[in-house]
Amino acid sequence: MASRKEGTGSAATSSSSTTGAAGKGKGKGGSGDSAVKQVQIDGLVVLKIIKHYQEEGQGTEVVQGVLLGLVVEDRLEITNCFPFPQHTEDDADFDEVQYQMEMMRSLRHVNIDHLHVGWYQSTYYGSFVTRALLDSQFSYQHAIEESVVLIYDPIKTAQGSLSLKAYRLTPKLMEVCKEKDFSPEALKKGNITFEHMFEEVPIVIKNSHLINVLMWELEKKAAVADKHELLSLASSHLGKTLQLLMDRVDEMSQDIVKYNTYMRNTSKQQQQKHQYQQRRQQENMQRQSRGEPPLPEEDLSKLFKPHQPPARMDSLLIAGQINTYCQNIKEFTAQNLGKLFMAQALQEYNS
Amino acid sequence: MSRFFTTGSDSESESSLSGEELVTKPVGGNYGKQPLLLSEDEEDTKRVVRSAKDKRFEELTNLIRTIRNAMKIRDVTKCLEEFELLGKAYGKAKSIVDKEGVPRFYIRILADLEDYLNELWEDKEGKKKMNKNNAKALSTLRQKIRKYNRDFESHITNYKQNPEQSADEDAEKNEEDSEGSSDEDEDDEGVSASTFLKKKSEAPSSESRKFLKKMEDEDEDSEDSEDDEDWDTGSTSSDSDSEEEEGKQTVLASRFLKKAPTTEEDKKAAEKKREDKAKKKHDRKSKRLDEEEEDNEGGEWERVRGGVPLVKEKPKMFAKGTEITHAVVIKKLNEILQARGKKGTDRAAQIELLQLLVQIASENNLGEGVIVKIKFNIIASLYDYNPNLATYMKPEMWQKCLDCINELMDILFANPNIFVGENILEESENLQNADQPLRVRGCILTLVERMDEEFTKIMQNTDPHSQEYVEHLKDEAQVCTIIERVQRYLEEKGTTDEICRVYLRRILHTYYKFDYKAHQRQLTPPEGSSKSEQDQAENEGEDSAVLMERLCKYIYAKDRTDRIRTCAILCHIYHHALHSRWYQARDLMLMSHLQDNIQHADPPVQILYNRTMVQLGICAFRQGLTKDAHNALLDIQSSGRAKELLGQGLLLRSLQERNQEQEKVERRRQVPFHLHINLELLECVYLVSAMLLEIPYMAAHESDARRRMISKQFHHQLRVGERQPLLGPPESMREHVVAASKAMKMGDWKTCHSFIINEKMNGKVWDLFPEADKVRSMLVRKIQEESLRTYLFTYSSVYDSISMETLSDMFELDLPTVHSIISKMIINEELMASLDQPTQTVVMHRTEPTAQQNLALQLAEKLGSLVENNERVFDHKQGTYGGYFRDQKDGYRKNEGYMRRGGYRQQQSQTAY
Repeated sequence: MASRKEGTGSAATSSSSTTGAAGKGKGKGGSGDSAVKQVQIDGLVVLKIIKHYQEEGQGTEVVQGVLLGLVVEDRLEITNCFPFPQHTEDDADFDEVQYQMEMMRSLRHVNIDHLHVGWYQSTYYGSFVTRALLDSQFSYQHAIEESVVLIYDPIKTAQGSLSLKAYRLTPKLMEVCKEKDFSPEALKKGNITFEHMFEEVPIVIKNSHLINVLMWELEKKAAVADKHELLSLASSHLGKTLQLLMDRVDEMSQDIVKYNTYMRNTSKQQQQKHQYQQRRQQENMQRQSRGEPPLPEEDLSKLFKPHQPPARMDSLLIAGQINTYCQNIKEFTAQNLGKLFMAQALQEYNS
Repeated sequence: MSRFFTTGSDSESESSLSGEELVTKPVGGNYGKQPLLLSEDEEDTKRVVRSAKDKRFEELTNLIRTIRNAMKIRDVTKCLEEFELLGKAYGKAKSIVDKEGVPRFYIRILADLEDYLNELWEDKEGKKKMNKNNAKALSTLRQKIRKYNRDFESHITNYKQNPEQSADEDAEKNEEDSEGSSDEDEDDEGVSASTFLKKKSEAPSSESRKFLKKMEDEDEDSEDSEDDEDWDTGSTSSDSDSEEEEGKQTVLASRFLKKAPTTEEDKKAAEKKREDKAKKKHDRKSKRLDEEEEDNEGGEWERVRGGVPLVKEKPKMFAKGTEITHAVVIKKLNEILQARGKKGTDRAAQIELLQLLVQIASENNLGEGVIVKIKFNIIASLYDYNPNLATYMKPEMWQKCLDCINELMDILFANPNIFVGENILEESENLQNADQPLRVRGCILTLVERMDEEFTKIMQNTDPHSQEYVEHLKDEAQVCTIIERVQRYLEEKGTTDEICRVYLRRILHTYYKFDYKAHQRQLTPPEGSSKSEQDQAENEGEDSAVLMERLCKYIYAKDRTDRIRTCAILCHIYHHALHSRWYQARDLMLMSHLQDNIQHADPPVQILYNRTMVQLGICAFRQGLTKDAHNALLDIQSSGRAKELLGQGLLLRSLQERNQEQEKVERRRQVPFHLHINLELLECVYLVSAMLLEIPYMAAHESDARRRMISKQFHHQLRVGERQPLLGPPESMREHVVAASKAMKMGDWKTCHSFIINEKMNGKVWDLFPEADKVRSMLVRKIQEESLRTYLFTYSSVYDSISMETLSDMFELDLPTVHSIISKMIINEELMASLDQPTQTVVMHRTEPTAQQNLALQLAEKLGSLVENNERVFDHKQGTYGGYFRDQKDGYRKNEGYMRRGGYRQQQSQTAY
């Protein structure tokens, strides 16, 4: 499996030493106003990430690690990385920060870039748009402005195309997160929609010339790769994604119901408040006509405590996740349709 | 007993007494050996009391000793401490003291202490010398003891007036002190040494003391002892023993005297008593001899009953020479009966007395009326013997009771002119006038019912796996015959109410028994069996089915209390179900409408109902009606408390929840072991029927999100099976069923079959059915059919068409069956296919949506609801008066309905279940 990945990797790099592997899709968020316009990754980093997942991650478990590199103009160069150690319940007192500092110090001794520029994470069927990711990326970006998160999808990669994407939080979202106010109004003010939460940064994989030469040579020597699986539809993948999508839709539904009840409650309260005010006004009028002093003003907010509005961040995230799933499915089905047509053509040709 | 003799210098008495034991033991254990020995609680409890008394007094004496020591060294603080402890210990011993009177040694220490304190108080100089603590303690102690002694004033004055009475004791005391430690006033070391020494010397003496005490107590007991004559002999011999002992082992005796001043007194008293008793006994013996001469019959009777040389005195009934007439006997009877129920009455003696009275009455030819009356009372007092509802009759009492009832029945049958009834007043009784019909108050039915209850109680309290249980169970026949006799008697003379009651008793003893004879007769065709055999069979009594029918019909027609009818119906259903008459049983159950209102019944009836439902379910299973079986068993099994619901045992879990009282009540509700329904069989039947229903259902609704479980418990078992990290060959019944289910899921009926029916399962479950082979063959067929269905559900998407012949080969079913099963599936729209007649193949239609399609449909549905919700939010913002949106929504709804049509098949098939 690893050989295939290398093959694709080398194919990408060989066509031109710097090719945007993930230039397509949506980078709509507009990277114009952010600090980083391009991410350049060393082949070493890619291989290290893949290896990390292969060794430690299975199923829904994700692996994470730290990216090291430096910023050159508006380009973020990631030249190395190291994994976070797997957590076990036994060593709860394990100090992660300590470990990171130690690791970076050690790397510095061997003259490797030791600047923290972000982190990476594997994902299960593209489900990475979560609160946890948002929070940690926020703290990263808060501390190091240029940092990115690399999302590696092992399942898609296993199907033949390397899936590695770099994301950053949009400046809008950064502001909202800084305020820590996720009420509907704040989000409205921030003009945030699920499409404007993350921005994707184009990735370039770069290898040294020596490595490129080696790759060329290897490709010549390598036997013809087993290409049969190319036509496989891998429909279980679609099913899984659908299932996950359905779960999210369920969550979304629940969230909306929650929001709905909130709306209803607020409007009911508003009505009550209104009625109360009117009554009070009438009474005051009567009193005035009788020559009595008006009733003292009472604190309305005390009488009618406003309901706690539900945090909208979660629904935003869910929407974002649904969006990702839909993109995935779209991509996947488009590919499969192509495969189907190809298979049909082949069949006709054979018969 | 032997535990009192573990050590002992008095080996002589030990040997002689253990000899005693050998004699007495077998007498006591004649009837029931192990478990019943435990229940002979009189012995046990008394033992406890004895030791308690001993313990308390020992405690007291120990404390007193330390006080005295403290007094001697003028340690008032210590005195105060010990005095407080003493007060507490005395409080503990209060109950014993109440019985025995205030012990002298206690009074003495109180008096002495007071004197001592006064002395100290007076001694001003000494007081000055005292350290602060002691002085303080002295004042408090003085106040305390003054206060305390007020309660014992009379005792103390008594003691002070004639201390010479206890002078010898004092002397002893001194002696003891000097013996224990030659110089006491020294220091603590001396004290500890003395205690050490004492301990040493105490061991044997306390042993003997205990023993003696016990014997004395026994003497006291035996005065009003129950029926154990052996104790008497024991005590008499022990008397002599102890006397001997006293004579011989003066050293020991003296030591013993020193150690236990109280026993000294007790013993004196006891000796006196003994003497008295010996005299009395002698008198009685002679009297008894006289009596025996008088009535030989009584003597005979005695001999037969006991078989033991009787030493026990017999109360004298009548003065010698009084003419025995009805009036006298009745008067005596009333006299005896008046004592009944009173606290001090010895119930055993009362029974004896009554029995004696019967003899006298029969000897003097007082007529059957009197005898019947007395017999009634004997039985009643036999029932009364156990004051506690929970305890059960001893076997000998039970036997006596049975005999007595039998005799009574004999008399009643022999003398049709005796009228018995509870409504006959005491005054209108006619016991003697032979010309008119005799009238006796009493109810034979109540007695029999009570007897039946006692029998149940005995069975409940016997270990069901012991030989004893079998022995007791043999009495069941006797109980049945008695009930039958009563039934015959009442059929002639009783009211309908009584007949109903006795019928119910009869039914309760019949319904759970499988009628093997009728079963045999059914199996062998009537023309095949020879005439003589048939006759024989007929002679052996009517079929239990016919009997049940007759009895129950009578009850249905005549009964006025609801409870008896309910019980009768339930028993009737149970009996039907037991004999595989499923339709009758089911119809009766449905007609009775018991299912609706059984929750209002009392717990025993509910238990009966549960038992009936379970039996019904098992019956349905035997008939191959899996669904009915499953439904009938569902309630009982799903709760996981089958054991409790059937009254076959208490759950440990709820032990904390209920208190002692509830537990007792529940324990009384338990069904005796011979009526139990095998729980493993029950569970197996349930699980297998659940498997036969659930596996095809699961296969049919693999991808349906709204699939419901038919049987939760079955799923639970499956999950448990899946969770096992290592799957070995199945061991338990459940594992077998789980393994079989897995095989069935794959449509592999052969493996399934081998898991369900094999040696292990035969032994555990299937052989328990009366027609095991029939059940097994039914089961095989069911497995084949359901496996076929499962196979078709699971793999239909793989086939374009499949030949029925292949299917019939695969599942070893004949073609028509396969045909019918497939047709049924097609009609029910479970299988999207059609049958091609000429080629005998099933052609699949492939309308079944694929997994992805299914998912997409589900997703569409979910999205629909999401959009709806979303629109509601929008509505809110816009206000609800936008007609435009309404229209749109309706339109959308239509759309949705259209989309759902794809999934209509699932819904339909779901309702089919």
